[in-house]
Amino acid sequence: MGKKMNSEKLGNFYYGNKTKRRREWRGAADTWYDYTRWLANWKVMAKFMMKPANLKGFFRYRWMGSYLAVPDFVDRHTEGLRGPQLRIAHKEFDFIVEHVCETIGNLFRADPACGNDEEFSKRVVVFDENMMSQIMNGFPNLQMVCREIPVVYTPSTVLQEGVLHYIDVAEEFGLPSDVCPMPAAELGCAIDDDFPQIGICAVNCNTTCDGSLMGNGVEARRFNIPTFQLAVPIRHMQESVQEYGAEEIKNCIKFIEEQTGETFDWEHYFKCMKTFNAETKLFREWLELSKTDYPQIIGNNVALYRDAYYQVGGGRDARFLQNDREITELGYQGYEKKVLCASQVRHRAVLWGVQAQYYTAFPIWLQNCWGILPLIDMLSLTSTSYYSEDDKEQAYLDMADLYMKMNMRNRSNGGYEVGVDDLWRFCEEFRADMVIMYEHIGCKAMAGYHGIFEEQARERGIHLVWVTHGLMDPRKASRKDMRGEVNRYMRAVLQEEPLDPTLEDFADDNNW
Amino acid sequence: MDKIKKMGKIMLIGFAALFLLSWIIYFFNLDMKASVYLKKLMDKVYDMRKRDRRL
Repeated sequence: MGKKMNSEKLGNFYYGNKTKRRREWRGAADTWYDYTRWLANWKVMAKFMMKPANLKGFFRYRWMGSYLAVPDFVDRHTEGLRGPQLRIAHKEFDFIVEHVCETIGNLFRADPACGNDEEFSKRVVVFDENMMSQIMNGFPNLQMVCREIPVVYTPSTVLQEGVLHYIDVAEEFGLPSDVCPMPAAELGCAIDDDFPQIGICAVNCNTTCDGSLMGNGVEARRFNIPTFQLAVPIRHMQESVQEYGAEEIKNCIKFIEEQTGETFDWEHYFKCMKTFNAETKLFREWLELSKTDYPQIIGNNVALYRDAYYQVGGGRDARFLQNDREITELGYQGYEKKVLCASQVRHRAVLWGVQAQYYTAFPIWLQNCWGILPLIDMLSLTSTSYYSEDDKEQAYLDMADLYMKMNMRNRSNGGYEVGVDDLWRFCEEFRADMVIMYEHIGCKAMAGYHGIFEEQARERGIHLVWVTHGLMDPRKASRKDMRGEVNRYMRAVLQEEPLDPTLEDFADDNNW
Repeated sequence: MDKIKKMGKIMLIGFAALFLLSWIIYFFNLDMKASVYLKKLMDKVYDMRKRDRRL
């Protein structure tokens, strides 16, 4: 027990139950900070539950039960952290907690089964889960809600068994069990009558993939509202597809205008894009820090938060920018003091492929157990371009560019140059000697690259560690299985000893 | 004056007790241990709810 990293044997906290034996002692200052943030998160959640509509929703929807594990979720993503990294993690995850509470609050406010605010519901445009939201920057009077994020995406992250019930329901209706669990869970949730029926219209998108779009088409039967299928080009690096992408954006804007009676507000759009560009500038600074010997904003402290502000925030919520500034300041403070993110930095890694939703805390385990610094992950390496703040025609192309470069599909579906070539470019830029290669069993998008990755990693002398997972279904490959693949490589190939031996093998199959 | 002092003392003891209690809950993860039972209870509530289950 102490203020230094790895002073607590973290594996001993797991004892086969849903939650951990106790919380970590991180030294007086860091433990006090963590305690105050724990209190603050409970305050946010208690305030949320005090609204009658939200309380009704809690008893109505099965997925709401997952949110009982939110403090455990925050603990998992701050495990072993100290100093600036602990503070950065709390800045991000606590804000996500607040933001998700607001989103669910909006869902329940509009939901006929809870708040039944019909006027509000008429101003809600429902968006697909894995979809950029920048189109809504031009509709300040409307509310964008990504229906599947609080219903499927977040519960599977907060609780590893969070969406298993819905996957089982979809399979009971004949869906094969070897498809991607994400659209399967969304479909199961629709079949199980567990989606709030809200909004005046919906926009679905082929981001993540065409499988997801097809699932959404079936789900749309349950929602009974006009739906637009936005199909943006997959191979987004080709010049010839840009105009088509922009046309799709124009069609989508027209659809929303027709359904809601609103007109696209260019002034508001450009105002939001200014915020978005300012956020991008800070993100580029984080990346520059990660290229140095003293990276500060890495691993879990980038991944989920980047999803939130790049995709869902989209520049509309200026609080993200303020939060980003504070994170950047903490990052620079850590850099100036030469703070290390692990007690010993043994390897610098790039995380490639799509992460396991039920084990988003995996990068922090890499740090704590083996001293592998997860510098950056594939899903965070989206667009870092600055977009137009005054040119309308360019703005259509910009929006299309953003939709094509959405987190999950940008590199997994975008073709060889962004899926393979860019990996080695990033390894060089970040001076990485290791690639942690996530392999999602139910996804065929990157399967064709398997041999190419191995061959090219060998040529470059980069350690390539495959980590197989089931995205939202831990029954396919458990958290322990994922760790086992890294453990085997570290022991057999590199012949290294773990920084914390209790983390090499511990019982968390039953854990939240 | 005595009354104010007494009230202050009670408030101080109250805050100290609350702090101590919340600290124990925090450190020994009692909030999450209690949530495990609440989750089991809620799952029963969700199972009991009638649903329009269809494609």
